[in-house]
Amino acid sequence: MPTYKLHYFDLRGQAEITRLIFAAAGEKYEDIRYKREEFPQHKSEMPLGQIPVLEVDGVKLPQSISIARYLAKEFQLAGKDNLEQAKVDAVVDTVTDFVVSYFPIHMKADEATKKEALNEQSLKLFKNLQTLQEFYQGNDFLVGNHLTYADLWFYDITETVLGVDSTILDKYPNLKKVRQSVENDTKVAAYLKDRPKLPF
Amino acid sequence: MPSYKLTYFNGRGRAEVSRLIFAVAGEKFEDVRYEMDQWPAHKAEMPLGQIPVLEVDGVKLPQSAAIARFLAKQFHLAGKDNFEQAKVDAVVDTIDDSFKGFVPTRFEKDEAKKEELTKKYFGEELPKHLQNLETLGKLYGNGGHFFVGNQLTWADLLFYTFAQAWIGVEADCLNNFSWLKKNRAEVEKQPKIAEYLKNRPQTQF
Repeated sequence: MPTYKLHYFDLRGQAEITRLIFAAAGEKYEDIRYKREEFPQHKSEMPLGQIPVLEVDGVKLPQSISIARYLAKEFQLAGKDNLEQAKVDAVVDTVTDFVVSYFPIHMKADEATKKEALNEQSLKLFKNLQTLQEFYQGNDFLVGNHLTYADLWFYDITETVLGVDSTILDKYPNLKKVRQSVENDTKVAAYLKDRPKLPF
Repeated sequence: MPSYKLTYFNGRGRAEVSRLIFAVAGEKFEDVRYEMDQWPAHKAEMPLGQIPVLEVDGVKLPQSAAIARFLAKQFHLAGKDNFEQAKVDAVVDTIDDSFKGFVPTRFEKDEAKKEELTKKYFGEELPKHLQNLETLGKLYGNGGHFFVGNQLTWADLLFYTFAQAWIGVEADCLNNFSWLKKNRAEVEKQPKIAEYLKNRPQTQF
């Protein structure tokens, strides 16, 4: 078994999907969390001067979704064959498209602007996810009938947007069910109960 | 063998990496290309109203990177194990980061603003990303000229095709990056790629 070290800030941000994957898999790792003032001293240790970075037996991997996909494959949370993995990857990319367009606004704007942007962009995301869930026969999950890292990524992102508008998923019962499936997973539930409560 | 149908515009863009993968693998596929005025009639056929889409035995896959990664895995161009595949994916993400700032410079309609954006991108933004790519190539490349593990992977093919777009605007953009220049030269030398490049349609983008 390799030794894993995850380097990130003390935030959910771009690392929480990886922490959720470790939790769902029941696998150990060192969860290194830098304070903002601490990170500049460590920046040059990271291949691209950025975090998250996953260190696997001393070899460093940057890029949050590549880290997540690697661990998901190691721990059978990526999809059961190449084609299912491609469906899962396509769903993950669709969530990431939303993150790229909405989160810069989320980080900077006032509440009213945030809510407006969220309403507009989440409509597109949820419509797309419903379409893909149907195409890929997602049964209580986004793809197929078992937990994948697409469900965990969706869960973490909606955690943040539900904080802006708690009713945002009300018209999407199938997507609400996906969140329920994540929360029903015993290992994930235990992790969610004990993890630091962070808004982002 | 599954049947493959790739649908995109009549251009390289976000589909060319997949066409290069098929070419290296020597695998057949239906290469559907829409002109700009043909596309609106087909938009509703695509899961997310976007292209490229890969149809594999009737199952439609959107998202260009997911498509390319799937094909690379099918044809052994993705990295030889999970960890190597992760390094390839990290390089791909970094290439993608490099390309993000380029797209707005192409679509800007105001000529003066376009020139300013383009100058800023090539002068300040792109060099930082190219430096990052050289760092990863030296970290993961085992001393060779491919990005990961001394063999051709789809990361090399993606860099090849996106860099072609940059070079089309700014011919000297790789002048300070000899490792990246050598990487592209290695890709072009591969017999199946040289053959493909010679015969493929010449398009605007």
